[in-house]
Amino acid sequence: MQNKTFSRSLNFVLIGAASVGILAGPLFLNDYWQHIMIVSMYYIILAASWNLLAGYTGQFSLAHQTFAALGGYASGLMIYHLKVSIGVGFIAAVLVTAGTGFLLGLLVLKMRGIYLAVATWAFSESMRLSIAALYKFTRGEQGLAVPSLFDSLAPIRYYYLFFALMVGLLLLMYLVLRSPIGSFIRAIRDDELAAKAMGVDTVKWKLFIMTFASTIAGIAGFFYAHYIVILSPVILSFNEIGKVVIMVVFGGLGNFAGPLIGAPAIVIISELTRDFGSWNMVFYSLIVIVIMRLYREGLAEFFRNWIQKLFGKKPAQNNPLQE
Amino acid sequence: MDTIIQTQDLTRRFGGLVAVNGVNFSVARGEVRGLIGPNGSGKTTLINLISGVYEPTSGKVFFNGEDITGLAPNRVAQKGVLRTFQIPRLFGSMTLLENMLIPRFADFSLDYLKQRGAAEERALELLEMAGIAHLSGHQAKTLSGGQKALLQMARGFMVEEISVFLLDEPFAGVNIVVKDTIMALINKMASEGVTFILVSHEMASIRQMCQKVTVLAEGSIIIEGTMDEIAADQQVIDAYLGGGA
Repeated sequence: MQNKTFSRSLNFVLIGAASVGILAGPLFLNDYWQHIMIVSMYYIILAASWNLLAGYTGQFSLAHQTFAALGGYASGLMIYHLKVSIGVGFIAAVLVTAGTGFLLGLLVLKMRGIYLAVATWAFSESMRLSIAALYKFTRGEQGLAVPSLFDSLAPIRYYYLFFALMVGLLLLMYLVLRSPIGSFIRAIRDDELAAKAMGVDTVKWKLFIMTFASTIAGIAGFFYAHYIVILSPVILSFNEIGKVVIMVVFGGLGNFAGPLIGAPAIVIISELTRDFGSWNMVFYSLIVIVIMRLYREGLAEFFRNWIQKLFGKKPAQNNPLQE
Repeated sequence: MDTIIQTQDLTRRFGGLVAVNGVNFSVARGEVRGLIGPNGSGKTTLINLISGVYEPTSGKVFFNGEDITGLAPNRVAQKGVLRTFQIPRLFGSMTLLENMLIPRFADFSLDYLKQRGAAEERALELLEMAGIAHLSGHQAKTLSGGQKALLQMARGFMVEEISVFLLDEPFAGVNIVVKDTIMALINKMASEGVTFILVSHEMASIRQMCQKVTVLAEGSIIIEGTMDEIAADQQVIDAYLGGGA
């Protein structure tokens, strides 16, 4: 119990320190590094919502980047073709991503593991190819211009907007995980048949979490699209989901703090290795292999154990009969 | 006596194999019924059919007179028909306490926050009865085989409206202390009105606990009666020793 209280206090201290650091960021970060922070916050949302699926529910979806893209495209296309306001574009982004997430959830309801991964990858690729092929409607590889949210493209307003968005969405995900829904999805991940036999409506909660995570990705995608102001099918590429997977595994799969550490770390590493071009994907892969080999639970758990050791606390609880 | 579980011509085929063949079976409210038979006789399939894990090829299952044939396992569980598995199926990454709370809040009632305290108290009380309360904060995957069997059993009792508990080989691979604890739990809950259907190869325990025993062989019921009656039956002896047929 003492360990739990310590962990909780530690989390609050770390979150508080990180929030103060991010809020004060623009005082000492130039425009370029503010942009890097905005991209990091976008990926934190994307990685944290993918963690709900893969880390907490055991649904290894490879279509998550597609929902971010759909959020952007739904709004961008409505504005481009129907001249609606950005507010209407936002509603379209939420409805399209929630609806598509629900339908994809129905389609893959009985799939797990490699079958789910392949089916969601196939969905994602078909969406990417469709957007590229329907260039008269989507402007394909030429790119779809999306209006910016503010008059100025200076990053500082987006910086605070993305910070508020990230805090709000992370809080929402945290509340879901702390509610019985969080227990249900973890039970589904551990043993779906046992969950059913204990009365858990696994169909309902799998569909809920797929719809919820997809909508969050769609909201993040909507804001990101209106920040980068141009959309092309590249944001649906396999590299994008590869990056998200690496961020979560690097930080800690199934650990709430994992994506919060993994996403900015990978974005920053990516920036620092930009001169190496496509080689940075090789670099990511090496990082994942090293982490998987040395510390499978990811950096978040590594830091937690390290800090607990520093304060003389026992790192993990085990059954004394099994020790 | 009032019937709580009833099957009507229940049949389940797997390709050419008839695992359960036209079974008519009924259990009275409050009874502790033994379900025995040689390996492959269809005991676990019958439990799977009643609990909704399998859909029958034909026939019906009734609970309290209501047709529950083909209902999903979660719907059957929410009606108060719970089950265990021969190899305990737990939520390994979750603590014992979290495991216990899953069935309690499976219907996702909105008064969860109000009821959580009382539910935790009940969970600890049941874990205490099972002798594993001191491990309540540990992950279920760290438990020994016997402790897993105890947790699986105690977890089922967290459902407030539990009426029927289907136990599939609860004594398999557990030591005498765990076995006694499981028997004590069954006796305690039976005295509170829970009906049990107990699949087991442990004849001594079946004799001790069950008023009536049903014997399955090759997917069909060959006899029902007290342990003394079935022990003297030639068909049962043939089924177990491989003779007769």
